Amino acid sequence: MANAAVASVSSPGLWPRIWNSKNRGYFVAFLFVLPALINFFIFRYLPILAALRASFWQYSLLGGYGNFNGFTHYVNMWNDPLFWKSMTVTVLFAVMKVPLQVMLSLILAVFLAREDRLTGIVRGVVFIPVVTSVVVVSILWSMMYHSQLGLINSFLSLFGIPPQTFLTNPNRALPAVTAMMIWKEVGFSMIILMAGLKGIPVIYREAAIVDGATPLQIFFRITLPLLKRVIMFVVVTQTIFSFQVFVPIYTMTRGGPLDSTKVIVYYIYQYGFRFQDMGYASAMSIVTLLLLLIISAIQMRVFRSDVEY
Amino acid sequence: MKLDELASAPLSGPSIASQTEAEAISSRRNLLGSIVRYILYALLIFIFIVPFLWMLFGSLRNEAEIFAYLYPFSWKTIFPIEWTLESYLDIFGISQEGMNAGLNFQRFLLNSFLVSAAVVLSSLVFNTMAAYFFARLKFPFKNVLLLFVIATMLVPFQATIVPLYIVVSALHMNNSFAGLVFPWYASPFVIFALMQFMQDIPFDLDEAAIIDGASYFQILRKIIVPLSMTGIITMALLEFQFVWNLFYWPLIVINNPKLQMIQVAIATQTTQTQTFWGRTFAGSVVASLPVIILFLALQKYYVQGVAVTGMKG
Repeated sequence: MANAAVASVSSPGLWPRIWNSKNRGYFVAFLFVLPALINFFIFRYLPILAALRASFWQYSLLGGYGNFNGFTHYVNMWNDPLFWKSMTVTVLFAVMKVPLQVMLSLILAVFLAREDRLTGIVRGVVFIPVVTSVVVVSILWSMMYHSQLGLINSFLSLFGIPPQTFLTNPNRALPAVTAMMIWKEVGFSMIILMAGLKGIPVIYREAAIVDGATPLQIFFRITLPLLKRVIMFVVVTQTIFSFQVFVPIYTMTRGGPLDSTKVIVYYIYQYGFRFQDMGYASAMSIVTLLLLLIISAIQMRVFRSDVEY
Repeated sequence: MKLDELASAPLSGPSIASQTEAEAISSRRNLLGSIVRYILYALLIFIFIVPFLWMLFGSLRNEAEIFAYLYPFSWKTIFPIEWTLESYLDIFGISQEGMNAGLNFQRFLLNSFLVSAAVVLSSLVFNTMAAYFFARLKFPFKNVLLLFVIATMLVPFQATIVPLYIVVSALHMNNSFAGLVFPWYASPFVIFALMQFMQDIPFDLDEAAIIDGASYFQILRKIIVPLSMTGIITMALLEFQFVWNLFYWPLIVINNPKLQMIQVAIATQTTQTQTFWGRTFAGSVVASLPVIILFLALQKYYVQGVAVTGMKG
């Protein structure tokens, strides 16, 4: 102690100059964030680098790394009709799900914005599928969709509608999964939109009422423009979630019938863990990752809000 | 004039002359409005709750009875005539049939509880520390580090599962609890949300504590954590729900059935070979009950958490 003090007074060496109280503070502060940084480096950044590397090699779980492949995986992907098919299915799923879900959740958010007890209960009920796991919801709905023993056909019989096929029908399987996923997640986007609605100052609506605006005018001219930023957030996040749909496909259809529900993440799973081709699976993961980054960048730009409040 | 009268004054509109007539019209409109509203409420409750009731009551009746009353659709389709716990005895391996089928759901529930507890606890410690760093400590190039953290939010989780698996198996953590816990002990969403909660705390408190000779850790423990408790509880809830409901990751990282988590177990064990609907229902109830009960008990925190993070948990 005394020595160090003397040293720093008489001839300040390099070490004491670096290890001054300010830098010591920085060092201690850095220790607080270090565990999180290590986690993100190992489990979020490193996988992307590893996948990038694996995508240029022959690589399987059992065999490890084989020959250097160059762009072979990427070229194969370009020529792989199932890759394009799965991309089409994924886009179709997102295109069906996102607009419908956002519209429904917007209606629900406005309709259920009241602060009374009953409305609170209805809100809670709409939110229950959100906290339930996708697996449980998927299993439950595949039973409900069952062509002979399902609850939905039983209910439809009330209206004289004969039993329908859902998940075994190539034309209906994807819409059926989409409907289920909207049912599961509409409450989630409803809550976010509701928080956005609460953030709009009441004065605007009151001023419009004084000016004699109808409720529809108020919704389209005031609420909607002011909610644009929140709606954008919901659209972007929901699109990204939709592009990554996996669990309902795995549990309900396994990509079938006739590949009509084979989404890209399920196809990647099949290649990586069923066909043991990690190299090709990694290449597809990289392409999907890039695609999602591009999509969210475009969406941010398109939806950019000009209204500040 | 009372405040609420003031607020509702513009609503009654400019028609002061025919006050009573306007009131009659508006009250009739209100009545109609609330009738429509209640019908829509009933419809919403029907759509969102009937599937769950079918699942819950289906788990409490005989296998044969689930199918017996499907046509015509009536209350019997959903509500049990004869109540039984048979399906639950099966999935917990208590009944002979369950034992023969090798069902042992308590094991998977325990695994899920252990993994969830480990992730929630560790992530609370490390995310709180990181949020404290970003929200309140001085550090050069802190913004660069924050960018490093926030950019990870853009990495799509399900789409990069294969790459994550490559890294985790290279670290020899596959097929172990470590593989289930380690990747999730820090989350950019949680750090970001906790930062929002911490930024509102006055900085005078920290400065006073530093003058009193408190260390960063003491400030965090004695001042910041107690004052951001709401945020911490909220994040713990969302984290629990996230881990409890994990499916894809445990599906690929765990090969040993004894280490498997409950969500994967219900998907593989009850539906794989021969489908027993009663058991599937019972398994689903058991797998959902913890999150649903937590949600119903702490609804306020959930809603707030989702609103702050936009995270699904």
